[in-house]
Amino acid sequence: MFDKTKHYEYIMDICVTTLHDVDCDFVGFAFQNQIGPDIKWHVVAGNQNEKYKHITLRYGKGIAGRVISTGSPMTIEDFPHDILGKALEYPIMLAEKLIYAYAVPIHFNGVPKGVFLIGQRVRKGLSEAEKKVVLKQARSIEDTLSV
Amino acid sequence: MKRLPEKKEISNYIIQSSEDEIKRIALELHEGVGQTLYSVFTGIQLLEANMTDHESKRHVHEMNEILEKTIQEIRFLSVELHPPTLSSLGLLPALKSYVNLYKATYGILVEVEQVGQEKPLPERHRIMLFRVCQEALGNIAKYADTHQVEIKVNWEKDTVAIVITDYGIGFDVELNRDKPGLAVMHERMKLIGGNCVITSTLGKGTTIQLNLPLQ
Repeated sequence: MFDKTKHYEYIMDICVTTLHDVDCDFVGFAFQNQIGPDIKWHVVAGNQNEKYKHITLRYGKGIAGRVISTGSPMTIEDFPHDILGKALEYPIMLAEKLIYAYAVPIHFNGVPKGVFLIGQRVRKGLSEAEKKVVLKQARSIEDTLSV
Repeated sequence: MKRLPEKKEISNYIIQSSEDEIKRIALELHEGVGQTLYSVFTGIQLLEANMTDHESKRHVHEMNEILEKTIQEIRFLSVELHPPTLSSLGLLPALKSYVNLYKATYGILVEVEQVGQEKPLPERHRIMLFRVCQEALGNIAKYADTHQVEIKVNWEKDTVAIVITDYGIGFDVELNRDKPGLAVMHERMKLIGGNCVITSTLGKGTTIQLNLPLQ
């Protein structure tokens, strides 16, 4: 499980590195709290405000909630166009004014418990190579959490 | 010759029918599906406690966590559709219940203040005021780029006034007057005999004032 005292710095390093290595404006890591079912944004880089601190992810809703409930990566190409449901179901996209996002699940003991999200405020998209970098970083986070 | 219903009466009828249906679905989710799932949840908890095989126990625990999140989401959905407190306890408790969910969903801090004692309102009026506040808060989450909102509910002898102030980027009210998000707030207030005044200053924020005469 995510333990702030043990994992925060390492995951923040990953977020900052990703922000530099991948053409993006925002990187966030959300994970289930140690107690209870709530999922929160615990580590972010490139944020424009502090709203993420108060957001509790809705299971199955928005990009992060859907990635956790399905256990599969998800891309939003041109928010708020061509999305499943309403724009209001995508709080992190609204809070950080993201147009493009790519999110992958973070597994713990084989179960999706969190999400690693990369966002752009100007839509450029991610190349396949950049998506591989994101997946690699997500695996590093999983490895850290399992120790 | 029989009088044909006026446009306002038809609008009222359409809104009332859809509100009745929303309320029915919200109640069914909260009291029906939600309660049934909760019974299953406690049953599985009991099973888990009596299991000895570590792997199976872990598996059942994971399943129950998913169930817990689903129950929570059903409750949230029910509050968004029609807070159970709106019919039983009144406008302010319903507004507060929705605001708590709104804060946790969008990370926007909302302060609700009441001046005076809540007066009994017809359910239709309570629902309309709630919907307009919901629409305003939705617009704020989408466009205002703010982290702070204030809602003041002022109960006077003959009127109730609700003032919603965000401290966001503001917008040109005249240019956006016909946008559905704003038009629907004016229209809903008009249907119950009230009004909606929107003022906004670029860079400073927007104020939405709802006034409703008490019958």
